[in-house]
Amino acid sequence: MIALENFLILSTILFSIGFFGVLSRKNAILILISVELMLAAVGINFVAFASFFDTSQLSGHIFTLFVIAIAAAEVGLALGIIIRLFRDRNSVNIDEANDLKW
Amino acid sequence: MFSKIPLPDQFDRLIITGGIVTASTTLFILSILLILKFLDFISYTEVFFWLISTGMIIGALASVLLKNIVHAVFSILAPLLGIVAIYLFLGSEFLALAQLLIYGGGVVILLLFALMMTNVQDQPLVEDGSQKPFSIIICILIGLILISRLLSADLNLSTVSSAELSVLAGVIFTDFLIPFLLVGLLLDIALTGALLNGKTHNVVATKRDGD
Repeated sequence: MIALENFLILSTILFSIGFFGVLSRKNAILILISVELMLAAVGINFVAFASFFDTSQLSGHIFTLFVIAIAAAEVGLALGIIIRLFRDRNSVNIDEANDLKW
Repeated sequence: MFSKIPLPDQFDRLIITGGIVTASTTLFILSILLILKFLDFISYTEVFFWLISTGMIIGALASVLLKNIVHAVFSILAPLLGIVAIYLFLGSEFLALAQLLIYGGGVVILLLFALMMTNVQDQPLVEDGSQKPFSIIICILIGLILISRLLSADLNLSTVSSAELSVLAGVIFTDFLIPFLLVGLLLDIALTGALLNGKTHNVVATKRDGD
């Protein structure tokens, strides 16, 4: 049987890779993809702890379900904003969207 | 045989190169794992787990490192679908199905649509910034700190409890009923907002001068 540490290490590696994508990418859609990767890694963590610790309440599974639903809502809304931004200034480079920066 | 299919020019080369690289890497990892299996170091469950997790990490690295954004969006499918297998290892069939339907079917298609709508031909690709070395250092540090903390913790548990669908549904509709309804309301409001945000006839009024 696979130990709990393996799932946690896999989730940590995926989270670090997603965080690297958020820090280093300039395209807004690719940043959104990296955020999805981080959310998925957190989902592995929740389900692993729920399967190994909490045998009766299933809270981790339900939280992962909520995370998936909120991630879907976030993707829809963020892509709407990105497409609006692209129509406005013909680019998805986030360095050019600096109107609120002082 | 590729010339008869109406595809872009680089598409056949992409399929051949990507297929060869993927197949050779998979066969290499699979052969190492099968050798370890026949030497009785690991079991078949662990063979599948290591194969899937290696594929997930390679796909995640490709999706944050590739220059071509279409390739990056396609390679995010590897970690998002590998998580389906991870959920099945952890005994949660319903979450695996939900992940497969929502991410594999919905989110990636939505991302590809947005990519096609925002990627005009005569515009150069958005290059990554100069903060790449800095972010590599930060992410390696975060990963090492988290892994060292969890390896020093005392986690000697070996029983996996599976989440049966009837039990899961019972818990959702009794203990978690209000959060469940709130998530449904949130999804409704978010999608309505996205629809209103993408309407075209308001764009002319808010368009900046000089465009």
